[in-house]
Amino acid sequence: MIFVIGGEYQGKLNYVLNLTKLKREDMVDGVCGSEKELEEKQIIYNFHLLIKRLLKKDENIEFVEGKIKDIIQKNPEVIIISNEIGYGVVPIDKFDRKYRELAGRISCELAKEAKEVHRVICGIGSIIKG
Amino acid sequence: MLMLVTGGSGSGKSEFAENIAVSCGSDNLIYIATMFPYDEEAFKKVERHKIMRKDKNFSTMECFTNLKKISLPKGTTVLLDCMSNLVANEMYQRDGAKELTFECVLDGVKSIKNEADNFIIVTNEIFSDGIEYDVETEKYLSNLGRINEAIGNIADKIVEVVYTIPIYQKGEKP
Repeated sequence: MIFVIGGEYQGKLNYVLNLTKLKREDMVDGVCGSEKELEEKQIIYNFHLLIKRLLKKDENIEFVEGKIKDIIQKNPEVIIISNEIGYGVVPIDKFDRKYRELAGRISCELAKEAKEVHRVICGIGSIIKG
Repeated sequence: MLMLVTGGSGSGKSEFAENIAVSCGSDNLIYIATMFPYDEEAFKKVERHKIMRKDKNFSTMECFTNLKKISLPKGTTVLLDCMSNLVANEMYQRDGAKELTFECVLDGVKSIKNEADNFIIVTNEIFSDGIEYDVETEKYLSNLGRINEAIGNIADKIVEVVYTIPIYQKGEKP
């Protein structure tokens, strides 16, 4: 698994497509992708929003972590693109706080497991692991 | 050695800082806890951190305001977690430094830096959400930002932790 992170609108998807020569059709969007697509496509985009979607479905943290683990187990070579969040003031809303914290914790686990971690700023990626 | 450890929320910066403190090999490891358990959520956070460091042989000192009052024996490695709570306490708690938060925190940092062999400070990257906050919150952000910058100036090392991966912004990676 390769983990690609960075702020919003930094050109992460284009960076991955250029690097891998994959196409948009090889990508599933975390916002709306089906379980099957998440387990089969080569790129998962908007991974942070997949975490949010799962957490909205069931606020149990173990449920979300379990689902993510399943997807990666079934799709071990996947490239995961995720926004780096958590660089702001603690949100007032309880769900937002929970989501922000969980997105951080899951991303830490992914970074540990990933063979490479790329961080993209202004379209430029640096490999921070691997 | 003074090290400033920064990173976003849930980035693994505390665990990284704890491991650095342990690796200093000091017999006297001191943990300065700054989070005031003002509600259930804060209390749970404090408990999570206690479990995380339970086998690391820290002795814990709580310090919610006035870092300068702490006096240390010789030969200590000190970990302060975290600066964002200390600054909030100084600004908003009854016995806090209020308008003198910046000066008071920096005096405290310098005093510990002089007394300890190693001093590791955990802070927080909370400056990039693009939201314009009310005057009070902006004042808090400005205080924390200026304090981070001032500590960065005198630090031997500045490490940004990105999802458990350390990026050395100042000083060599060991």
